Amino acid sequence: MQISLVWKQYDVLVVGSGGAGSNAAETASEMGASVLVVAKDPLSASDTKISEGIATVRASGSEDDTEDTLSENLQLAGGDLPDANITSAFARDSQTAYDKVRANGLRPKISAITKNPDPLPLPMGGHTKRRSIGHKNSGVAFGHANWNSIVKDAKIDYKEDCWLVDIITENNKDHSKSIIGALIYDAQRGELLAVVCASIVVASGGLSTIYFPKTDTMRGNTGDSYAIAARAGAELVDMEQIQFLPFCLTSPPAFEGLLGGEPVTASYLGVLRDKNKKVILDGVYLRTRAECSAAIMKAVEDGRGTKNGGAYLDMTANKRAPKSGVYFMNFLKGSLPSAYNNVRQAMSKSEAQCEDLWEVRPSAHYMMGGIRVDENCSSIGGSKGLKNDGILGLFAAGQAMGGLFGANRLGSTSLTEGAVFGQRAGKNAANHARNISGMNPLNKKLFMEKAKKINSLIGQKGHLHASRIKLSVQRKCWENLGPIRDEARLNKTKLFISKTRKKLKNVKISNSTKWNQGLIEYLELENMIDTAELMAIAALERKGSLGGHVRADCRNISLFSKPYSTIVRFVNNGVNVTRLPRKQTEFKKLIKFKFEEQKKFLGAKILRLMPMILKDRVLEKRYKKIMNIQKASITVQPGSVEAAFGDRKIL
Amino acid sequence: MTKKETRARKYLNVTIVTHLEGKDMPVNFKYKKRHDREKPMALDVLLQAQETKLPELAFRYGCRARNCGVCTIDINGLPRIACRSVVRENDKLKAMSTLPVITDLVVRRDQISRQLRGKIYRNSGGNDLNVDASEDYHELTSCIECYACLHNCPMHEKNSIDPSESNERYEYGNPFSLLKLQTIVMDPVSSNSQKSDAITQAVNLGLDTCLNCPGCKCGIGIDLKGKVVNPLISALKKIADE
Ligand SMILES: Cc1cc2nc3c(=O)[nH]c(=O)nc-3n(C[C@H](O)[C@H](O)[C@H](O)COP(=O)(O)OP(=O)(O)OC[C@H]3O[C@@H](n4cnc5c(N)ncnc54)[C@H](O)[C@@H]3O)c2cc1C
Ligand code: SF4
Ligand code: SF4
Ligand code: FES
Repeated sequence: MQISLVWKQYDVLVVGSGGAGSNAAETASEMGASVLVVAKDPLSASDTKISEGIATVRASGSEDDTEDTLSENLQLAGGDLPDANITSAFARDSQTAYDKVRANGLRPKISAITKNPDPLPLPMGGHTKRRSIGHKNSGVAFGHANWNSIVKDAKIDYKEDCWLVDIITENNKDHSKSIIGALIYDAQRGELLAVVCASIVVASGGLSTIYFPKTDTMRGNTGDSYAIAARAGAELVDMEQIQFLPFCLTSPPAFEGLLGGEPVTASYLGVLRDKNKKVILDGVYLRTRAECSAAIMKAVEDGRGTKNGGAYLDMTANKRAPKSGVYFMNFLKGSLPSAYNNVRQAMSKSEAQCEDLWEVRPSAHYMMGGIRVDENCSSIGGSKGLKNDGILGLFAAGQAMGGLFGANRLGSTSLTEGAVFGQRAGKNAANHARNISGMNPLNKKLFMEKAKKINSLIGQKGHLHASRIKLSVQRKCWENLGPIRDEARLNKTKLFISKTRKKLKNVKISNSTKWNQGLIEYLELENMIDTAELMAIAALERKGSLGGHVRADCRNISLFSKPYSTIVRFVNNGVNVTRLPRKQTEFKKLIKFKFEEQKKFLGAKILRLMPMILKDRVLEKRYKKIMNIQKASITVQPGSVEAAFGDRKIL
Repeated sequence: MTKKETRARKYLNVTIVTHLEGKDMPVNFKYKKRHDREKPMALDVLLQAQETKLPELAFRYGCRARNCGVCTIDINGLPRIACRSVVRENDKLKAMSTLPVITDLVVRRDQISRQLRGKIYRNSGGNDLNVDASEDYHELTSCIECYACLHNCPMHEKNSIDPSESNERYEYGNPFSLLKLQTIVMDPVSSNSQKSDAITQAVNLGLDTCLNCPGCKCGIGIDLKGKVVNPLISALKKIADE
């Protein structure tokens, strides 16, 4: 059996119908471009839809929240790795981009006083201003708005159940590359789509599925964005920087990987213990996520891990305190309602009441690196002084892009990232397509060659199954490319990947053309392998711990050392890695930052050593204060710095 | 304990109905419990089946947490959200009966959304966005688009779901599409013309079928009869009276 090749022509192809994809499609269509949206999931089903639904909007809390304030905030949080042009663009557009989503039906609570959307009562951690807006029904509310933005516009064509397989480029006379289209597997109809187009917006999300089931994200995050762009010749930036959430559930299987708590919800007296109940980390609420994750994984490595390869989060002391214990439980339940809901369903009653220990383990949440682009979402490449060798016509937005967050992502910024850069990508993709005359007809053969390759897989004989190899890749990535790394493990990852690649030719694939799950698994497996290789090489290049990248064999990278980003790209038969110097924040600001953080740690230490009666009184006051200000609804966003006070420390 | 009882504690017998090119093929699958007391969800069973006996088994899932709405299947003939539905001995897992099956448990879904294509939020823009939406609006937008409500809907049953027919969009509506339209009616930002547009669309999708129908059931508990169908019918009656 052969999958038939169907030709299509558009100005702009948008890959993904999450936040970034739908914003790109709507904007490109408004600019007059003909647009096709494809996604492997049903329309708008995405990380965006399953998120907590908290979005950053500049100056929503106070007028002194200038563009510089927000942009600088992202810079500092990201360890000076973010691209200043990109953080500025984020700060500049956040309001208008958010309003565009609102025009599609997103309805935040409006303040009676300001007559504008009301942000959460306290600045989210790491944010220097109140500017995070929560929404009823969380991400599902964004899901509806994104759905509306595509369905309302009859000019936008969309196809779900379509897997982008590869991007196709042609070489220009000056050796640069231009987009001429893409090959897509339409599983629903059993066709291969050859989409001829001048612009492609890659908005196909992240890679956390390479750690499944240790992740809280959507199944489809198999690194497709990065692998496909890199195979087309694009550069990727900061690929070692992945955000793990430390306190996720380990069992039962249906809840494995989902969020249970954050450092901040461990509250003032929460500690981590190994299987022998020995304390392995105290003052958890002030620690970074990476520190918590590393402590857990270190215990596991030394054979002191719990049954399911994690550690115990002990919050019993919070609960036991006679007066403040009650406040603690309210704080815990109110701060992260969806996470606490997971705990309530997955754990025993005494555990859910914090009278017993929680078994926890880190989960992959968000890739901070991604396709290297400029503030217009255009692929860029090369180092300063040299010619830009990005791919003309390739755009990336949302989690697929890099350069906005660097080493750490502030809470509530990704939904805004999708809107801001989705819209920018859509606009620039439409503009680019306008100036391009059609493809050289001779290049049709490039599509046909790719299609032939896919068709040669249909009915492939073999004794292996891609779905099973995927599981082994996921296990190995967790062990050797996960929340804790060292040189030996990263080298093991490289070796494992090259071995796994050789297995691909022995993978059995059935000969059906419609929704061939074996083929789908195979294509995703290939992307996972390519992505893991690119990550491993970036991680080897950064010989020190920074943000989401924890090296057990090296020291922390100091805040005061010269910042750089890692750049990886595929070259003939391998991966090339380089360093891209980044601009450092002024020393004065860095020192001020350090000082304030030290003050906090001292305070926490004094509190810990106090006798219970005194401690209980202090805690009661504190809880009252935060809960009063917030009128019982304290929401902490998973992944935010607020949810891990300590994440400020590594800045 | 007898040998049989020990086995029963370790395994769970289920039937997974696979599907290829128009033919159903039931497969018996023994789910191996990870511990005696485990009560697996349907999605756990499907994932284990794919890991062991049926490596190319096709099924949809995404978030594993009842948020994305894509994993709906029929369990013993009733639509269930697979990631949050406990499976019992001898349960039968099958593709949803209300939509055309593509392969195994995967159904085609997009003829539903396409029936509203180009028909909602026409001429939007320019309205004041800073108005509060009602609780009812937020109840409607909690819909995760799982399509469990298609079950037993006489309006949806008027469509042909024969997969051999190329049907890009369904002519007749369903509770989900009505919910989307009523959301526009409830939206404080919608203009009057957008609202009446939405009601007209509901009529075009076959709202009259609802008049003789006991009502629909939502997979996550949205009051579809009270908050979607009845308000649309009264809006229609009001227009008819005027
Ligand atoms: C549980 C959870 C809670 C979160 N909470 C928040 C929050 O409160 N605030 C916040 O700002 N951020 C939050 N985040 C992060 C945020 O949700 C995501 O980073 C963001 O939504 C990503 O948007 P995106 O458009 O880039 O990708 P997604 O929304 O993930 O969309 C990806 C799209 O690409 C498609 N796709 C993937 N691969 C292919 C392919 N090969 N071919 C075709 N299509 C493909 C998918 O089907 C999908 O349509 C949360 C994340 C999670 C998991
Ligand atoms: S209305 Fe209820 S049953 Fe229907 S799609 Fe929405 S959530 Fe599912
Ligand atoms: S009330 Fe209308 S939408 Fe609901 S089940 Fe009956 S016919 Fe379908
Ligand atoms: S997997 Fe998302 S709702 Fe079941």
